[in-house]
Amino acid sequence: MPTTPVYLDHAATTPVREEVFEAMKPFYGPRFGNPSSTHRWGREARAALDEARERVGRCLGARPDEICFTSGGTEADNFAILGAWRALKSRGRPAIVSTPIEHKAVLGAVHHAGDEGAEERLLAMTADGVVDRDSFDKLVDEKVAVCTMMWVNNEIGTVQPVPELAAKAKERGAIFHTDAVQAFGKVEIDARKQSFDLLTISGHKFGAAKGIGALFIRRGTELEPLLHGGTQDRGRRPGTENVAAAVGLARAAELTLAECEANCARLEKLREKLEAGILAKVPDAVIHGRRAERAPHITNVSVPGTDSEALLMALDLRGIACSGGSACQSGSVDPSHVLSAIGVQPDLANAAVRMSLGMLTNEGCIDRVIEVFPALVAKARQLTTAH
Amino acid sequence: MSGGVDSSVAAAMLVEQGYDVIGATMKLFCHGTDVPDRPCCSLDSVNDARRVCEQLGIPHYVLNLESRFGHDVVDNFVEEYARGRTPIPCVRCNTFTKFRDFLKKADAIDARWIATGHYARVANGELHRGLDANKDQTYFLWGINRNVLQRMLLPVGHLDKTATRARAHAMGLQVIAEKPESQEICFVPDGDYVRILESRLPADAPALLPGPIMTSNGVVIGQHAGFARYTVGQRRGVPGGFPHPMYVIEVRPESRAVVVGTREELLGSGLIAREINWLADRPEVGEHVSVRVRHRAPLASAEIVRIDGDELEIALDEPVSAITPGQSVVLYDGERVLGGGFIESSRQQRNSLPVLAA
Repeated sequence: MPTTPVYLDHAATTPVREEVFEAMKPFYGPRFGNPSSTHRWGREARAALDEARERVGRCLGARPDEICFTSGGTEADNFAILGAWRALKSRGRPAIVSTPIEHKAVLGAVHHAGDEGAEERLLAMTADGVVDRDSFDKLVDEKVAVCTMMWVNNEIGTVQPVPELAAKAKERGAIFHTDAVQAFGKVEIDARKQSFDLLTISGHKFGAAKGIGALFIRRGTELEPLLHGGTQDRGRRPGTENVAAAVGLARAAELTLAECEANCARLEKLREKLEAGILAKVPDAVIHGRRAERAPHITNVSVPGTDSEALLMALDLRGIACSGGSACQSGSVDPSHVLSAIGVQPDLANAAVRMSLGMLTNEGCIDRVIEVFPALVAKARQLTTAH
Repeated sequence: MSGGVDSSVAAAMLVEQGYDVIGATMKLFCHGTDVPDRPCCSLDSVNDARRVCEQLGIPHYVLNLESRFGHDVVDNFVEEYARGRTPIPCVRCNTFTKFRDFLKKADAIDARWIATGHYARVANGELHRGLDANKDQTYFLWGINRNVLQRMLLPVGHLDKTATRARAHAMGLQVIAEKPESQEICFVPDGDYVRILESRLPADAPALLPGPIMTSNGVVIGQHAGFARYTVGQRRGVPGGFPHPMYVIEVRPESRAVVVGTREELLGSGLIAREINWLADRPEVGEHVSVRVRHRAPLASAEIVRIDGDELEIALDEPVSAITPGQSVVLYDGERVLGGGFIESSRQQRNSLPVLAA
């Protein structure tokens, strides 16, 4: 009996929303101009791009010139971290502070700065998946050029106290960057009230296209560009702008914020049902980061005596899409650096299954997972005992 | 599925035969330091396997068996060389990784069968050599659990390599049809296994320290840069100047000596093997069987002299060259695999005159 597929991997990516697709279309057709051109086609494209910049800015509490469009989260993270560090390194601030639970885009950039001579400092985490404040006080000192901390963790959904720590970092003269790729539309972001200097968002996590993201750059924040070439975006980001995707990003961001409250409440309820349903049938299931404040769309569950790779295959073969740790380039599931950083034992970490909810998730999806997941778990445990 | 022609055609044949096929590729070591033009196990190969599955309309998964493989296969590979032996990692990979750990993943998704691209055949719960005598891979399969034979499907075992390639073309699998054969050990991409040993053994490991090269009667004729660089039967790295070609005939780890000798001295008249595994009912002492002591070596006929728990001794009817500790001996009754084991030692026949350095 064929069943409707269940997509529970919204933290990986989301489909482009119909409204967003419509908004983008003209720029693949009649309004195809290059925003740098001086003729009418160029002017039209330029107008659309400027407007998109304004609209994205409004969504973040930012001015238009504080928005830099990028190819996505990874580029924005790299630009923020490497750009700020390179601009500041000669001023007696050789250190970068980060957390061990960051996305690879951040950890990779921090590590690359390390290769260029930066001193890498990683904050301690509590077992709940939140930054340890004593460690923050110790590590963020006058030697620190950049402090980078993700707002919502992509694997377990825990929320870091970004506004509070951004303010502290600023007092100590450090640039504060936050990867808000999973946070946008899930927590309140307002550059007028919060003191982060740099903030990353990525379009395809909330209904825009892949290949577009943005970096908020607070006025006065010095960044050395990653790319060299033309003068687009004040020379910060040379290269012909992806006008259609930027327009789509603006539309998606507005829709997401307009629906934010209702959507978060809906997802929260669905997740509660999902977790309660799993725990009712598998009482010893461990939900990571559960005691911390979490964004409403992510749950990460480990069942002792199972292995996530086999579970993910079995779920997929039944039409349920979830994910494990960080997806490796080969497509295999590698043990999660996030779970090991918060002290989860390897056996349990290797059993982790992340389910992330979103626009495609409804009650029926949750019912199906509550039915299938515990059955697969029971089967896997039988095999473990048998072997 | 390695992304190579054999496993791809195997999958395609099973799809044709109406099986509900799920493709899987084992990730066995880090792809970080990858060699792009390697025929097997590289990231490109994973992508090839994925493309083939896409073309066949079947799901594909990459399974991470890195830590188990590292423990059961790579660590053992290093230990064996450190002990002056010549390991055969493919046997251990089949025994522990493919047909044990990988099989557990199959259990988890209720897969009744496990299919691979090996050139071997399963009939009536027994393992037989592949039809293509040049490609037969039973030499690497003797160690698997006998019960697993009940679940094995080896579709290309009934083909020869030319036919397999033709099948690949006919099925539209052009991408992989003309891929080169993988001959190397998958985790030693450039064949430079010493580099792996150097990275994993301490710098003062005896296997990597200089030692004497000597003849069988004890005359030292040179120095070597580590006995791990030598295997029985090897000619490379052996000093010249002899009237006959000289070969490594023995590695003696306790004195770090590499012993060389003539072709005659390389011959063995029997051997002792350990970790014996039977894939058929255990033969009796005194029975005659055919044996293979090295991949692609000709079959030799032999008598079973002794079976003692998991230890086996056989006497060869005619002497065989380069019986090497660490390699496998596989026993056959006709086409049928009886079992096999790891060679512990060879019974040398030293009936030639001592050879003096010229």
